[in-house]
Amino acid sequence: MRINTVINPVLAGKTKKRKKWTGRNWAVFFMATLGLVVIVIFHYLPMAGLTLAFKDADYSSNLLGGLLFGEFVGFDFFLEFLRDVDFWNVMSNTLIVNLIMLLINFPAPIIFALILNEVKNSAFKKGVHVITTFPHFISWAIYGGIVIALTDQTTGIFNPILEFLGLSSAENPVYLMGADTIWAVIIISSVLKTVGWGSIIYMSAIASIDQEIYEAAELDGINRWQRAIYITLPCIAPTITVFLLLNIGRLLSNSFEQFNSMQNAVNLTRSEVLATYVYRLSFTARRYSYATAIGFFNSCISLLLLVLSNFISKKTAGRGLF
Amino acid sequence: MEETKINDTLSVRESASLEPKAQKKKKEHRIRYTWADYVIAAVLILFSLVTFYQLWYVIIGSFSNGQEYASGRVFLLPKGFTWANYSVIFRDTVFWTAFRNTVLRTVTGVCCSLIFTALVAYGMTSKYLRCRKAYYWLFIFTMFFSGGIVPMYLLLRILGLYDTFFVYIVPSLFSVYNMIIISSFYRGIPDSLYEASELDGAGEFTIWWDIYMPLSKPVLATVALWLAVDHWNSYMGTMLYTEAGEWTITLQYHLKHLINEAAGASSEYAEMVSAKTISYAGIVIALLPIMCFYPFIQKHFTKGIMVGSLKG
Repeated sequence: MRINTVINPVLAGKTKKRKKWTGRNWAVFFMATLGLVVIVIFHYLPMAGLTLAFKDADYSSNLLGGLLFGEFVGFDFFLEFLRDVDFWNVMSNTLIVNLIMLLINFPAPIIFALILNEVKNSAFKKGVHVITTFPHFISWAIYGGIVIALTDQTTGIFNPILEFLGLSSAENPVYLMGADTIWAVIIISSVLKTVGWGSIIYMSAIASIDQEIYEAAELDGINRWQRAIYITLPCIAPTITVFLLLNIGRLLSNSFEQFNSMQNAVNLTRSEVLATYVYRLSFTARRYSYATAIGFFNSCISLLLLVLSNFISKKTAGRGLF
Repeated sequence: MEETKINDTLSVRESASLEPKAQKKKKEHRIRYTWADYVIAAVLILFSLVTFYQLWYVIIGSFSNGQEYASGRVFLLPKGFTWANYSVIFRDTVFWTAFRNTVLRTVTGVCCSLIFTALVAYGMTSKYLRCRKAYYWLFIFTMFFSGGIVPMYLLLRILGLYDTFFVYIVPSLFSVYNMIIISSFYRGIPDSLYEASELDGAGEFTIWWDIYMPLSKPVLATVALWLAVDHWNSYMGTMLYTEAGEWTITLQYHLKHLINEAAGASSEYAEMVSAKTISYAGIVIALLPIMCFYPFIQKHFTKGIMVGSLKG
């Protein structure tokens, strides 16, 4: 037996496979499978429900019946939304807002971490970080309420400021939550809410940089600006890559709560994104199959973007998510 | 034995040689503040003030007289100081029902989810688990692809969870991301501990509960806090999967309702209050628990993220 395993690795592998499951195997199997059961029920079963996109169950009162016995329509719903002007309007809102966010909201925490890293007084550094992280813990429902309060035409604080700058007047106040300025409001409020929290990960990455690199560079007479750009930034590049890839994967997805909390009838033409559009279609218009088709399309594109960007990153930078 | 001794002496020598350097540097830094430091400090102070002001504005709004708030402009201090907004909220029975539900879901949700996720994390890190890769990929895939809201709605209907309190607990029982965080901490626990208890004849569940759980308190605290904030702040679930009834209405959902009402119309309740100032009082009460806990738990959040970053 022992000789066999030594001489013939193939046979050795076979005997290993036939090895009986011990109590420990069963216990551990039970633990991991518990998680798998929850995942299968609440993540994989809904994926099976995506077949709703290929069946006509719009406006149906019995959704399960619609899913099981509804008329099979193939890609009809997909073709319908691809030809729909409304859909493309929502799509362009989603893409533009997310691209601006990728340009502003994604680098903001990195820049914030680099600036905070330059602070020499640790008490001051900590204080700033504690204050700027706090908004992360406020719900979007509340934060949206705060933004609405601050931008209010009569009681808000922005109109007096704009008046002072000559951009608004008491008789004809600017409505900042209107369609023209809603993107700016969403993006600025989003930066204020997330920058402190987002910077934590980069700060911990900066803290783990080998101090000897800095010491060596100091001997070479490097200044602060150069130190931040040529040493700190390249050293935290792996962390940045991971988050960049994740963000690219989310180019079509937005936080439902963020946009829902700031939407109103006036700004809807600009503030409607895929996440809120699908909600409105399914629960207000009751177009279940149509909404599912859009959701399915969205999920597929997101996954494709993630895989593609991961592939490119692996080829060019040599690192990726998986 | 000898190796460790050598290592010890080496590390002692290293730290001895490093310490004076570090001290010197600190002293140098304390003295030298250049113009760049002042610019950075000014930018950061401004940024912190802006962040802080948003909260301050709601607080002073909640203490303002509704009529005066609507006519004049409130900047730094409340106008016509009054507790009336709070007394309206205190008499609002729906607000307290929502408050009770939110507290209940936060406490129950965090406890159940934490224990469940930790159990799965233990299973996933054990060397006795077969086909770990398959489990791993099945878990990871769900982080990047989802069925969407309509199939989820349908599923919850079929399972009978729709519009019940448990719709907040059961689907969020297990989170892949939190499982990865906890298991990366478990992997840092020395194997010798496991082997020793294995030799003593302890079963897997005993080892998990009596050895791994107590040792992983820091990461469990972090994940618990993440979960608690999520439960406290979420309102999407209430909107999508419930009718917001007696046992399903949540605080954030109710606040959203109050805020929308206030933004939509100028419906005045009485002389002292307005819909706007009342909604501010509601916001402040909903924020109070977070404000109270925040200073103490802030470091835990940071710690947990660092655990995550070590893995990623």
